[in-house]
Amino acid sequence: MSHTVLVCDDAIFMRTMISDILAQAGFEVVGEAETGSQAVEKYRQLKPDLVTMDIVMPDMGGIDAVREIVKHDPDAKILMCSAMGQQALVVEAIQAGAKDFVVKPFQPSRVLEAVQRVLG
Amino acid sequence: MDLSQYAELFLAESREHLSACNQLLLEWERSPANLAPVGGLFRAVHTVKGMAATMGYARVTDLAHRAENLLDLVRRGGRPATDDLLQLLFRARDALEHAVELSVVAREDEIDVAEVVADLEGAAAHLGRGGEVGAAIGTRTTPVPAPAPVVETPAAAGRLVQVTLRAEAPLKGGRALLVIKKAQAVGPVHAVTPPESAFEADEFDGRFSFRIGGAAGVAEIERVVRAAGEVEHVTVGGEERRPAPGAGALPAAPETKSRHIRVDLGRLDGLMDLIGELVTVRGRLNELAAYARDPAIDDVAIQVSRLSRELQAEIIQARMTPVWQVFDRFPRLVRDLARELGKQVAFRVEGKEIELDRAILDELGDPLLHLLRNAVDHGVESQAERRRRGKKPEAEIVLAAVRERASVAISVSDDGRGIDRKSILERAKRDGVVDPHAEALTDDQLLRVLARPGFSTAEAVTSVSGRGVGIDVAVTRIRALGGSIEIRSVEGKGTTFVMRLPVTLAIVRALIAGVGAERYALPLTYVSETVEFGVQATTTVEGREAIVLRDRVVPLVHLRRLLGVSGDAPTRCPIIVLEMGERRSGIVVDGMLGQQEIVVKGFDAPQGTLPVFSGATIMGDGVPALILDAGGLL
Repeated sequence: MSHTVLVCDDAIFMRTMISDILAQAGFEVVGEAETGSQAVEKYRQLKPDLVTMDIVMPDMGGIDAVREIVKHDPDAKILMCSAMGQQALVVEAIQAGAKDFVVKPFQPSRVLEAVQRVLG
Repeated sequence: MDLSQYAELFLAESREHLSACNQLLLEWERSPANLAPVGGLFRAVHTVKGMAATMGYARVTDLAHRAENLLDLVRRGGRPATDDLLQLLFRARDALEHAVELSVVAREDEIDVAEVVADLEGAAAHLGRGGEVGAAIGTRTTPVPAPAPVVETPAAAGRLVQVTLRAEAPLKGGRALLVIKKAQAVGPVHAVTPPESAFEADEFDGRFSFRIGGAAGVAEIERVVRAAGEVEHVTVGGEERRPAPGAGALPAAPETKSRHIRVDLGRLDGLMDLIGELVTVRGRLNELAAYARDPAIDDVAIQVSRLSRELQAEIIQARMTPVWQVFDRFPRLVRDLARELGKQVAFRVEGKEIELDRAILDELGDPLLHLLRNAVDHGVESQAERRRRGKKPEAEIVLAAVRERASVAISVSDDGRGIDRKSILERAKRDGVVDPHAEALTDDQLLRVLARPGFSTAEAVTSVSGRGVGIDVAVTRIRALGGSIEIRSVEGKGTTFVMRLPVTLAIVRALIAGVGAERYALPLTYVSETVEFGVQATTTVEGREAIVLRDRVVPLVHLRRLLGVSGDAPTRCPIIVLEMGERRSGIVVDGMLGQQEIVVKGFDAPQGTLPVFSGATIMGDGVPALILDAGGLL
């Protein structure tokens, strides 16, 4: 059975791109979220094997979403999607419980490597 | 976390460290003023403590902790070992070993270390005040109950891990933090340099280091660090140690073992069985190819042969184990025995690195134990007696391994009094073992007499050994392994036992001989040559038919007669000459059918079977053949 993924990003472009990379590698994208609070809500509903999480999102940011999700599921496997120059935020996200991170612009091979590390 | 899956690994590693402790203590005992072994002892005990704490074995942890404390004080104090201190440390090591073994089988509550713990405490307290250890033990009047275990995490202890991230890795600070998080899963991480706060800065260049405690090995630490991703380079160092006066490096420090994995022996056996079957099928394929006369089939048969031979060589190599794995426990044993008997013995081990098949090596422990006990108990004389005879007061016992052509010779020699042939001859005559008119015993006869079950000439059978019983055990065991044992003894000069063993048991090259309608395999290990019967002149020596080969008498054994095969033997037939050390024998068979590799299968001989078979094998055509035991034929 393929792994299920929840993709969280406020940009449709980014969501589509991440979804495509993962779908082509055989993952099943079971849901998408545009905000942190949606991400928390959908994580509870869908219980995905993996979450990709943008850091900067409206309503509730990615780091707060990580804290909320990990509070309920310490084993949640969350991969942060960050931009260059967000070192401090990435460090904060990892301290909050994120398992790995990728940096935009995305290279499919790097995204998949990170996903393997998180799931492995 | 379920720890039970790690119990086996814990046991294996603890045994290694405790075995190292024995070697180090013996080394220290030999030169008490040289404190080099103390550093190694401290580290070994410390490692056992760390592992035991991780496993949750409180009593092992506590005992190791006390021993470590004492060793630390000794190390700092820089004073030579006293006999009392050494005895205490030997005791503590033994108690630790016992505690480890019990803990692993969930019998921790049976561990009783109160006394040794109290002695360790007493000694440490005394040493701390600048006294000697003996006084501390002597003055203790009431046993102190074992205090609660103390598990410490020294702030600066643990392995140093240095990491460099790939130059192209983005956000190196985030990556470094992931490395730390991963590492924390296998052990406590501290002394992170630069401090974690620096990871948030954009200037962070991706080079950092930390110390990690716990029992995780180098390979495991490296693996988890690399699992964090984007790691260019990682080095995992040894345990951090505080500077110690005169502390030298442990010769075979466990962390220097590189790129080895532990494999369950059962796996290797299984693999060997499969390759054995492959060898049998290969034989069949070669036979078919010879019939078919088709170049294409020939070609495949040749390739299959080559590949399976290489595979076989690899797996045999994988089973090879250096003899020190068994030899290493003997220095302590000889020392303890000699002490018990009040004798002074220098024990030397030679050829530690010689390798033998694991299955053979595992069987050697008992026979060697018996021979060494005999050597200490009966072989070497008391100091007074040695002085009277003008020998140096310290006796010498040597355990040596030497690689010969296709076998390994393992010898136990002492420079003691030698075996009293006269008294053994008398006894042998009384028991009817030798001709009542015999005047002397040859080495061969001597061994045959000594190897009789229950034979003992020791005036008093001591708790250590009664001469004979051990030799009986040793001879039987060695023969079962397809090996031989011989004895050389010179009165007043000493005794040597030499055991010759095949290097591997599993697959051997053998001559296939025909007798009647049956085929028999004779391992080439002890075959020196073949000559022809009916061409070679025969003679009679001591009532036995024999041939003379280059001025040496080779007694003949007619396999046909021995096995009770009816019918007439061919007029001209081959003689296979066996040679084992000094002994020779010519085996007369009907015909030689060739040479091939055979897979040795264990063989439970039915009652009444002649003691000349060591096993069985399946020939290429699927028909079984018995394997002749060279030792039994000689």
